[in-house]
Amino acid sequence: MSKSLLLISKLSEDQIFAAEAAKVAGLTLITVGTAQEGASVIVREEPTVIFVDTSSEAQYRELEKEVQDSVGLFSDKISANAIHFLAAEQLENVQYLIQSPLFGHFIHRTYQEDPVSVGQHYGRIVRATQADRAFGLANLMKENAKIQVVKIPLSSQKQSSVEAVRNYLIAAKFQTRMATLIANAVDELLMNAMFDAPVDELGKQMYKSTSRSTQLKLEGKSAVEMHLGFDGSYVAITAVDLYGSLDKNKLLAHISKIYTDEEYKVKTSVAGAGIGLATVFHSGGSFFFVSESSSRTEVTVFFKRYDSFRMFKDQFRFISTQFYF
Amino acid sequence: MINVVKEQKGNVLLVRLSGSIEESVNFDQLIGPPPGELHINCKEVPRINSVGVKAWIKYFQTAQQKGTKLKYVECSTAIVEQINLISNFTCGGEVESVYVPFSCSSCKSELVGLFKVEDIKKLNLNVPDLKCTKCSGKAVFDDIPEEYFGFLTR
Repeated sequence: MSKSLLLISKLSEDQIFAAEAAKVAGLTLITVGTAQEGASVIVREEPTVIFVDTSSEAQYRELEKEVQDSVGLFSDKISANAIHFLAAEQLENVQYLIQSPLFGHFIHRTYQEDPVSVGQHYGRIVRATQADRAFGLANLMKENAKIQVVKIPLSSQKQSSVEAVRNYLIAAKFQTRMATLIANAVDELLMNAMFDAPVDELGKQMYKSTSRSTQLKLEGKSAVEMHLGFDGSYVAITAVDLYGSLDKNKLLAHISKIYTDEEYKVKTSVAGAGIGLATVFHSGGSFFFVSESSSRTEVTVFFKRYDSFRMFKDQFRFISTQFYF
Repeated sequence: MINVVKEQKGNVLLVRLSGSIEESVNFDQLIGPPPGELHINCKEVPRINSVGVKAWIKYFQTAQQKGTKLKYVECSTAIVEQINLISNFTCGGEVESVYVPFSCSSCKSELVGLFKVEDIKKLNLNVPDLKCTKCSGKAVFDDIPEEYFGFLTR
């Protein structure tokens, strides 16, 4: 397999973005304009990573058809872990991507003023996915990033951890509103790691109906860690659990669900709310989910610091997933 | 952790919420049985997580179904964000006033200004600049208007 990044797009901004990402990831960039040409490259070169413009459903369907006709959708020549969909629309408006068997990564094409800088940022994600396992916050950040690891022994200590993150960010010159929003994201990730990740031998969620204010001991298999990294520009926070129980379909359904038009219905049969991740994504956060079945899950959220909240909220964002079975 | 200060004004119960709303919140205990008219002051709510949102909707929806007239005043930016994200967050209640975020063009300080919703509508969502309380510079609205004021246009 050649170490290359195949870009299927006619847009110059995608080409700048992909060129930077490929450079950081140590991959050779191959650019084509159509899905048909892309399929030929897949057959011939077996590229390591594929970026593809899927701004419209027609573009996506064309890709799906060409892949199906050439190597097959479930061929070992193509893996969802290696496919990165590029689209200008918000995630909730591209359900055809959410439902795709090829979904691995979604890049919301909001390069703002700088496709080079965001290409470099995303290139570190791509580089991490080239490893045997994409775990470890240090692999996702610049070399100068300072990373702290916090072990949380009790679920009741979540709120103090969240407040500590908020205070750290305010000290790091994030606006108070940004710091609060990021702290809320951390709250959601930790709550998921503590209460949603634990499953029994049959894969059944152990705390589905357990009140989120219950005090749980987080030790052994139930240990939860928070890793916090900051490189002067991006802050990233990872919640780590040892269950490796993340379900991709449920995850994508949750994260792409919005309640701006339809009513949120309170389900009393489950203790969680099911709206945390979608809220974080809508607030400007990017996600990197890595899960190895029955072993470990790391969920990382990224935010870039800006002088204005308006730019902060409108920042480049992505959802990236790596699943190992 | 949230605290509540209650004040009875005639037929109206005014509750002032202060603190983060998260999994420990119990509105039934904090506010009690919903009265005929309930005004909720959200000025001091800096943060609400997803389980807090769920508890909020559960309590205020039940109150509304029992006939309580709800009014939200001095909504913090965190509450406005939820009003925008969740279509039924206000549970049929009226939003009277909201804090609007500003950023100083000179010293980059964060400020908030209190606006009545009716006034924002009259201004066609174009809220006027403020004077920075720290450097007297010009403080401009710091969010995406269509998003921050989204609840006024849907």
